[in-house]
Amino acid sequence: MPILTMLLNGNETSVEIEPGELLADVLRDRLHLIGTKIGCGEGECGACTVLVDGLAVTSCIYPALKAAGRQVTTIEGLQQDGKLHAIQAAFVECTASQCGYCTPGMIMSAYALLNENSNPSVEEIKESISGNLCRCTGYYQIVEAIQLAAQKLAEEGGETS
Amino acid sequence: MNPSVIGHSVSRLDIRTKVKGQRKYPQDFYREGMLHAAVVWGAYPHARIVSIDTSEAEAYQGVITVLTHKDVPVNEYGIITMDQQVLCEDKVRWLGDRLAVVVAETETMAREASKLVSVEYEPLPVTDDPRESMKPGAVLVHENRDSNVLGYMPIRRGDVEAGFAEADVIVEGYYFAPHVEHAYLQPEAGLGYIDDEGRVTVICASQWAYDDVHQMAHALDLPEDRVREIIPAIGGAFGGREDISVQILVALAAYVTRRPVKMIWTREESIRGHGKRHPFYLRYKHGAKQDGTLVAIEAEIIADAGAYASTSMVVLANAASFAAGPYVIPNVHIDAYTVHTNNAVTMAMRGFGATQMPVGYESQMDKLAEALNTDPVELRLMNLYEEGSIAITGNPVTNGIGAKEPLIQAALAAGWKENKGHWRAPVIDPPCQPHLRRGLGVACGYKNVGYSMGFDDTSEAIIELRLREDGSIASALIRSGASEVGQGVSTVLAQIAAETLSIPFERVRMALVDTARVPDAGSSSASRHTYMSGKAVLLACQDALRARDAVLREKSGQMRVEGRALFHGRTMRATTPLDPETGQCEPHIAYTFAAQIALVEVDTETGGVEIIKMWASTNCGKAINPAMVFGQVAGGIHMGVGYALTEHFIQQKGWIKTRTLGEYYIPTVLDMPRELVSIDVEVPDPTGPYGATGIGETTTLPTAPAILNAIHDATGVWITRLPAEPETVWRALHGIQTVV
Repeated sequence: MPILTMLLNGNETSVEIEPGELLADVLRDRLHLIGTKIGCGEGECGACTVLVDGLAVTSCIYPALKAAGRQVTTIEGLQQDGKLHAIQAAFVECTASQCGYCTPGMIMSAYALLNENSNPSVEEIKESISGNLCRCTGYYQIVEAIQLAAQKLAEEGGETS
Repeated sequence: MNPSVIGHSVSRLDIRTKVKGQRKYPQDFYREGMLHAAVVWGAYPHARIVSIDTSEAEAYQGVITVLTHKDVPVNEYGIITMDQQVLCEDKVRWLGDRLAVVVAETETMAREASKLVSVEYEPLPVTDDPRESMKPGAVLVHENRDSNVLGYMPIRRGDVEAGFAEADVIVEGYYFAPHVEHAYLQPEAGLGYIDDEGRVTVICASQWAYDDVHQMAHALDLPEDRVREIIPAIGGAFGGREDISVQILVALAAYVTRRPVKMIWTREESIRGHGKRHPFYLRYKHGAKQDGTLVAIEAEIIADAGAYASTSMVVLANAASFAAGPYVIPNVHIDAYTVHTNNAVTMAMRGFGATQMPVGYESQMDKLAEALNTDPVELRLMNLYEEGSIAITGNPVTNGIGAKEPLIQAALAAGWKENKGHWRAPVIDPPCQPHLRRGLGVACGYKNVGYSMGFDDTSEAIIELRLREDGSIASALIRSGASEVGQGVSTVLAQIAAETLSIPFERVRMALVDTARVPDAGSSSASRHTYMSGKAVLLACQDALRARDAVLREKSGQMRVEGRALFHGRTMRATTPLDPETGQCEPHIAYTFAAQIALVEVDTETGGVEIIKMWASTNCGKAINPAMVFGQVAGGIHMGVGYALTEHFIQQKGWIKTRTLGEYYIPTVLDMPRELVSIDVEVPDPTGPYGATGIGETTTLPTAPAILNAIHDATGVWITRLPAEPETVWRALHGIQTVV
């Protein structure tokens, strides 16, 4: 079986996989990083969103071997020293999660956006999560949370990555 | 004394683990030696099963066993009527029927082997339209019955002929409210295993753990205390997890193999395997006097029950009781039917029969307003319930009903002006392009809170207090079977407990739902937990405080006390079933009312509809957590927008054509109203905890009809079937009727 080596949440990680395996399955079933959710299996709902070299991808249709040698960031990689990332904290503050199944993917899409664009407009925020389906919230509190996170990050003057 | 926590948007109890990605849903559980199971689904919408041959699948690498009907001790289940076979033996009646479960070392092996189960069928003719299916001579879905009509419920009140004779204006309409897929983001999954005490245990996502245990124990022919269900996080439910999905299958697989067995449905299996919201065909006739007073209503409502009963009878009873809307109408003639077909089973979904009706009755109200040249807000306010008004089922509607207040507040917020009881709609800004039209639409909706029509609705709760030496409360633990489907029930119950115990919210925790450890709270349905389980928790807290006071009095030095309460809804209002001939009854324990106004822009070139703004006004009784109320309102509007404009579940002759989320279009962030104004109305329900009532469902009721009425206001055309997709709107704009 091939060995996939990637820089996963900042740590070099090697794992034995089947040739055709998808990144979401490797993360979940082999590495038990269950924060990456599978909602549709066709890249439609965005629950499985992770970052590969800084770009948001739907890991349920992303061949795992394509991630070889790349930087992969999952929801588990956002916290630092046990402290919530500003986006996560803003989701808490804005009650931007209900059932929570879309939440990690939603946060990862927002994370990819804010890495690229520290001061996004509401339209840009909506565009960035338009590939993430949520059946509970109606999205308003999610958009609000991403706006708040952008503001907090700007105040901190820090980088998001 | 601590400041009140009721009315404050405290952080949800579960939200930190959710944003960290640590919250575990059923598919996130892994166990040593775990096997995987896959379903063999029926291959026809309607067919006799001639033979099932599992030998080739059993010989496949890694396969442990292939389970069929022969392996199910008591091969039947169903939430009200046990009319479904766990694994079909003789016949399949819809594409969601299951024939076998393949258990193997890996999921891939199980899925590959499932393709090798060979089933010989004799296909049967399919019945797929309830209006045809109800006629004598139709193909029978259940061949041992006389008819496909599962239920008929009439409502008769007053003298409808005299009522119409008295009417100055009569309007008629025929409407279609279609199937809706729940489309919760987390597909069905479960893990079955034998626990340390030898109990068959299932970890799954369910709205009602105790009812699942009842059905699992029945199918496995075990005492109920030998079966256990644990509910970790649930990825949305909306009614779709009230019926059994994977539970009995993984329980059976674990029971037979004595090993942990996991089953995860793909999205396609999820859409195929669980039921849908009932489609209803709605024929309405309303009569009113020149001054706007409603005098008579005649309606025929026909629901597609799909292949099995599920909760169709109760949905129909609800639909019948809400068929006239929240309006006083003295003369009533309603015939309601629910009819079997070979379409998808239909079941609970956000509103439970109360969601489809306003598609009809709120269109009718706008038609009347137009015919009478009256403002639609004014016409509604003239006829809406007041405290003590008599419903079409003959009962007075009481207990702080707050039916008018949501509409008044929504209308004022949207710019309506009132002068001596006369209402005037605002003048709206014209659109920026000549091919665009703008319009405003109003709709109201109402529904029950708690189980209705004679069902003894109960919720039980236990409160455990840890005491300090001085008898003050160090912490409280709530034990309740209330499923946290995402609506926020655990947080609401913790707020009620903190308030009742006068302790900070942070000191209250909620136990995991586990039938071995928590009492039965009933289902996360009927918008009932804030009201029912809120009341149970409040009473259990009072009981715990009494126990604590006894400890202090007796100076026993005890550090833990427990309070317990079993709350019966009937102590607030005893309900009765619909009278079989007249439908007259005391239908519901409590009520919830909402009104919404939509501002839409219709593109006359494409038929596309964009929602510019919505005003949503919801009577919560008391908004215990305003941020979570907003979440329910916005989520309800999301589903209403999908219902109105985008969600189209297609079946043809029983074959499911809509199989994925790519084909079933739930609104994205870009499809939502650009702006949403949400108003919490707080006319208290004196019977609810701290005056609160449930709102989970009512928030979705007015959305679709408000959008339809706004499309009419913008363009002059009536859209009578959902969804109002661009093609449907375009056709209507060009005078082409879309056949209902």
